[in-house]
Amino acid sequence: MKKIAFKTLGCRLNQYETDALASRFHKGSYQIVNYNEPADIYIVNTCTVTNQSDQKSRQTIHQAHKVNEQGLMVVTGCMANNHKQSLLETPGIDYVVDNERKSSIFSIIESHFRGEHPDPEGFDEDLFSYEPAFKTFHTRSLIKIQDGCDNFCTFCIIPSVRGRAVSRPVNAILDNIREVLDHGFKEVVLTGVNIGRYSFEGTSFEQLVAKILELPGDFRLRISSIEPDGFTPHFFELFQHEKLAPHLHLCLQSGSEAILLKMRRMYTAREFRQLAEKLRYRYPDFNLTTDIIVGFPGETEKDFQESLQMAKDLRFSHIHTFKYSVRSGTRAERMDGHLLEKVKNQRSALVRKLSDENKLLYFEQMAGKPQRMLVERISADGIARGYGQSYIPLRTKIKGLERNQFLDVVPDSVYFGKETAMWTKDLRKTF
Amino acid sequence: MKLRSNNDNQHQLLELRHLTESTYVLRIDRRGLSFRSGQHILLGEAGSIHNREYSVYSGEKDDFFEVLIKEVDEGLVSKQLKKLKPGSTLQIEGPLGFFTIEPELVDSGKFLFVATGTGIAPFHSFVRSYPKIKYQLLHGVRKEEEAYERNAYPTEKYKLCTSQDEKGDFQGRVTDYLRQNPVSADTHCYLCGNFQMIHEVFDILEMQGVPPHQVHAEVYF
Ligand SMILES: Cc1cc2nc3c(=O)[nH]c(=O)nc-3n(C[C@H](O)[C@H](O)[C@H](O)COP(=O)(O)OP(=O)(O)OC[C@H]3O[C@@H](n4cnc5c(N)ncnc54)[C@H](O)[C@@H]3O)c2cc1C
Repeated sequence: MKKIAFKTLGCRLNQYETDALASRFHKGSYQIVNYNEPADIYIVNTCTVTNQSDQKSRQTIHQAHKVNEQGLMVVTGCMANNHKQSLLETPGIDYVVDNERKSSIFSIIESHFRGEHPDPEGFDEDLFSYEPAFKTFHTRSLIKIQDGCDNFCTFCIIPSVRGRAVSRPVNAILDNIREVLDHGFKEVVLTGVNIGRYSFEGTSFEQLVAKILELPGDFRLRISSIEPDGFTPHFFELFQHEKLAPHLHLCLQSGSEAILLKMRRMYTAREFRQLAEKLRYRYPDFNLTTDIIVGFPGETEKDFQESLQMAKDLRFSHIHTFKYSVRSGTRAERMDGHLLEKVKNQRSALVRKLSDENKLLYFEQMAGKPQRMLVERISADGIARGYGQSYIPLRTKIKGLERNQFLDVVPDSVYFGKETAMWTKDLRKTF
Repeated sequence: MKLRSNNDNQHQLLELRHLTESTYVLRIDRRGLSFRSGQHILLGEAGSIHNREYSVYSGEKDDFFEVLIKEVDEGLVSKQLKKLKPGSTLQIEGPLGFFTIEPELVDSGKFLFVATGTGIAPFHSFVRSYPKIKYQLLHGVRKEEEAYERNAYPTEKYKLCTSQDEKGDFQGRVTDYLRQNPVSADTHCYLCGNFQMIHEVFDILEMQGVPPHQVHAEVYF
């Protein structure tokens, strides 16, 4: 039996696609091994969103070489679209497969081992023909609902590597979710490049979410990462449904009106603020997390302070901080006022510090409030870990638990470890 | 940038019309490509790896595509395109963008269009596509000669604001005009051009009571 190892870099969409590929190989009688183990095939699903992601992707490719120089190396993902030629010229890379043909990797490998020297470009482009991922690396089931983005933010390379927005048919999504629920998954996470722009034959994103929530079964739905534009009042109502997790990763990028305009984002800082405040007014414990880019060309100290202030006011419990990184061919590359790395480092350290402070404040706010924990891992010392509906990392010492079970708990104190989390008590024992 | 596949994105340049020393209109063979007024295309010379965004200047029902371009001093593509001759082949990707008017509002809504320089392009397209639309257009330029094809708009609907000569309908910036001539809160406002103007107009409109969801912006640079 051939051994295959996977490594995913970057976004949830990549994770979803790797999960689906892994499932396909598992079904096809390949043995899946860890990436740091000797394997016959290595698949690296790369990211190109920043310079750092390019570097990480390259390091990951080299890492496999060190373990087994003879292993077949397949590079896919956004870097394969953005830097195809240079990857093809890199010794030791056997196949470079673009995003559009990623779902064909199983067929490409099979063809390779039949001695056919396949050309990946000869395979059909298909963004959605991934099988449901049963053999996943997670307890949550990622469901791809769309691909691509038409927003063309001035800093972003994604529209050129993922292409234009395409939505997956409603029925295919619902069937996919039914299948994963039947298979025992209890949490479904919607993924895509810009899922809020979902639109298929008249069904909008909000309507799609409503349809998913109508599906029977004991599961919860997480929207996760979404752009803050185009919501109708109905969107807020959806969160009344107990199956919809009260958490959004709402990408802010900057709290400065001027910088948002230069980024060509689709919303203003004041609209973002209103949206977040509306959510919090309706649902005071709603968990908001976000992305912030620091050091965008022309970002003044005042602009940066506006981002910090906004992040403080809106109490994001986690802020994914990106230092602005030039992407070749984007409008931002040609803008004046590129900042020194030193300034970007200082600003990103301040945002990270604020993120840690906000997290503690949020955890304090949530102490004593019931959470439905989905158990993801149980370590050898008997500690079970998982997430509540509000996306708080939870830990419990309750015995006899199983992976992938729901458990009603009450978070009561903060755990400071590699990852900050909350200790919980068994809800049944608190009454 | 891969948006449309194979060669179906090649279009012929039909005509180049100079409006000033630096600003020109390219008329391009449409080849059935549909778009909504307010959208833009990515345009470049065929075979070149460089392209740029340009709002469509012509109307939805015109047989051709037009774009209005100002040659930028330190620019690349705006200079390259100016040198082309009729018959040259261009590459178009798109249409793209969301700077459009909801069809149900076209007949019933009241609109304010605010442009700086070539930011007038999408408004020219709106006016050609929707002849009955009720609007007021503020065009901010440095000098009167930049009143690109102003006879496309009825005099009472077009206000030329000149900041560096006294020949405009109003001497000063569009922002000064707007402060002195407030709009009513039910106006749908479309702003296009440089980001400083748009940034300032956002604040002015907020003070005049226009709700944020009625304000739409297209930032060129
Ligand atoms: C959605 C969108 C629609 C656009 N539509 C139009 C249009 O209809 N007509 C048009 O002329 N331009 C339009 N632009 C701007 C256009 O895309 C190019 O940026 C412009 O033509 C300059 O390109 P370039 O290659 O010559 O210079 P670049 O190499 O791209 O830019 C050189 C420098 O000039 C600055 N710059 C860009 N545009 C201008 C400008 N108009 N005046 C002064 N400085 C500028 C840039 O910020 C940069 O610092 C649009 C931009 C966007 C994002």
